[in-house]
Amino acid sequence: MYTVSGGTVKERFPHRWSSCGSYVLESMPFYHVYPGSQCLAIGTAGCNFRCRYCSNAYIAKEDPEIQQDRMYRLTPRELVGMARKFNCRSIVFNVNEPAVSLPSLLEVAEEAKAAAIPMGCLTNGYTTVESTELLASIFSFFNISLKGISDDFNRAYIGIESSGPVLRTIRRLAQDRHVEVTTPIIQGANDNAIDAIADFLVEIDPEIPWHVLRLLPEDEMKDVEYPNIQAIDAALESARKKLPYIYFHNFISSEWVNTLCPDCGYAVIERFSLGCGGDQLKRLLCKDSRCPDCGREIKLLREQACLGNSKRVSQ
Amino acid sequence: MSIAIVDARGWQNTLDLKTGEKIDAAGPVIKLVKDVLQRHPYPGDTDPGSNRWVSDTAFDLIDRYAPRFVFLTYAAQYFSGRYTPMSKETRARMISDVFLEAEHFISRSGFAAIAVGTGDMTPLLGFIDVTRLDGLAVCTHWSTRYAGLYGPSPDDMKILEEHPHIEKIVSQEEVVRLFGGTPEQTLRLPEYLMLACEGYAFKTISDAMRMPVMIPSLNFNVPLHAPSRTVEAITGIRQILEEDLSEKNVALIAIEGVGLDEFLWPHRPCRNSTEWYYYEPGEAQYLTIVSGRHRFLDYPTGSGYKYFNGAEGAARSYPFSGHFKSIPEGAFASTFPGKSIAVGNKSMFMHMVTGADLSVECFARNLYNQGTMAVIHRADKL
Repeated sequence: MYTVSGGTVKERFPHRWSSCGSYVLESMPFYHVYPGSQCLAIGTAGCNFRCRYCSNAYIAKEDPEIQQDRMYRLTPRELVGMARKFNCRSIVFNVNEPAVSLPSLLEVAEEAKAAAIPMGCLTNGYTTVESTELLASIFSFFNISLKGISDDFNRAYIGIESSGPVLRTIRRLAQDRHVEVTTPIIQGANDNAIDAIADFLVEIDPEIPWHVLRLLPEDEMKDVEYPNIQAIDAALESARKKLPYIYFHNFISSEWVNTLCPDCGYAVIERFSLGCGGDQLKRLLCKDSRCPDCGREIKLLREQACLGNSKRVSQ
Repeated sequence: MSIAIVDARGWQNTLDLKTGEKIDAAGPVIKLVKDVLQRHPYPGDTDPGSNRWVSDTAFDLIDRYAPRFVFLTYAAQYFSGRYTPMSKETRARMISDVFLEAEHFISRSGFAAIAVGTGDMTPLLGFIDVTRLDGLAVCTHWSTRYAGLYGPSPDDMKILEEHPHIEKIVSQEEVVRLFGGTPEQTLRLPEYLMLACEGYAFKTISDAMRMPVMIPSLNFNVPLHAPSRTVEAITGIRQILEEDLSEKNVALIAIEGVGLDEFLWPHRPCRNSTEWYYYEPGEAQYLTIVSGRHRFLDYPTGSGYKYFNGAEGAARSYPFSGHFKSIPEGAFASTFPGKSIAVGNKSMFMHMVTGADLSVECFARNLYNQGTMAVIHRADKL
């Protein structure tokens, strides 16, 4: 988060991290980046949204100042060194919104680039054009949370006026970065937006991986019923005809976490779902990014694209 | 084949526990278990109804399966006490409630109780930050007393040896001398095991995001309620289980986060340790209780093993069983010829450590409530 000092916007708590641990990329979730690899997952504190169902309110909504005694204090160099010690192939910012910690992340990116470690992030995409470019300069792969389309939903549940900036960010980053999109479903609130979101993604790139999550409501909505799995699965039927890489998860043993070849339906990547950030790779059957059955190219972020921090490779 | 049935509220799936693959399986025991899961959605780790869920689920299983041995874990007070600031009065009421719940279970089921408290809690005084070493310190946020140390530099060792809140640094050789273990287990041990002073927890690079307010005390002894029995150490509990079960139905009840200071039933101290090592609440402690021998080396995550990060891209066995990669041998219920069940709200390891025919447990991750999971190890006793 930021403060204004002497007419300059400054980061309040640089190089302070609320979380830092080694995880598999699937658990972030990233399903089309380095399958099965470890990443160093980091986060800071604070957020520019006020989601009523926030899963990490104790980090995202609590004043960062009172979190300081539990924060990790690691310089960007130490952070990158830690990624190496844990044999992590990448560094992923998750937990809260990276746009609230851009100066620190720019420094980490510099160190990470020198160490040839690519960075990715989870973001809500609610950024200015300028901030989006900064994010694009730091990260080579993104999972952008598109929580809903309608203004009513965004005002009532997220605390923003419109999803317009988020849609703009997805459009921009999908041009030359690897982008996956996540939508947590709240039954009766945004499940009616499934088809509209699918149409939006098709317009940008039908091969964008889309994670539809069964929301586990927390924070202000802790007592709300869990969404019905069969109902959401049924609501996704139409979208599945347009988008080949739709995943429906965030619950134990989901059956909708495998990557199927868009042409022949062969399961080219199989995963386990343990729910709530516990997804794992089961089998990778397209190591050369091609379906072993029909030979079709499967969208996967490749090593050189990440390391170069440049163009997305959609194969 | 051991069968897992997961219930994510309103949706169930049946799996091969070892491979995690979906299977088509049917039969009276599977139906029985599915119905029980459907009737008992888990309210959550810190929900006031969490311990009642344990009793109610156990009653349902007892009514339909008629076990002779029941293993219960009540853990809501452990999670609440660990993460929620509360007054002494509130804590006392919470502890009283869990004993009332256990009494409710005993009086309605008619089972004879052997109850063990897994250890007292103490306020967190501070962290021992070992994130900036030249080497690598590892532990999970559930472990506070122990952290593993890999590749320390001479400077690291000097800092750590002089640290006012590190009680002891034990070499791998010393751990091996104490516990023995297979060559494979020895290979997995860290070069050193660091021991924190009471009230302090190691801060390592891990998934620690929630701030604990209470952590386990140095529980070298824990309370054991076993009427008319004297048991010196937790390794002796198995023997009295065997003896009592030859005469009556028995419930072994683990009361999490409660030690000698707060245990409300008549009890005697029972050794929860060997030399410098004591068991924190967790899988190794349970395994030691049910197998009758020290099992520190069997469960890797608490105390600083880094191997569990796993090989990149590798499929693993028992994906729904925490960090276990095989079913531990020697669990009491796995050799007990009568029917057995286990129910607990400490998540995802009861089915591995108890060996019970049927187990039902919550499936929660970092306090996020995912639902429940049942495991059927034996379907041939109904």
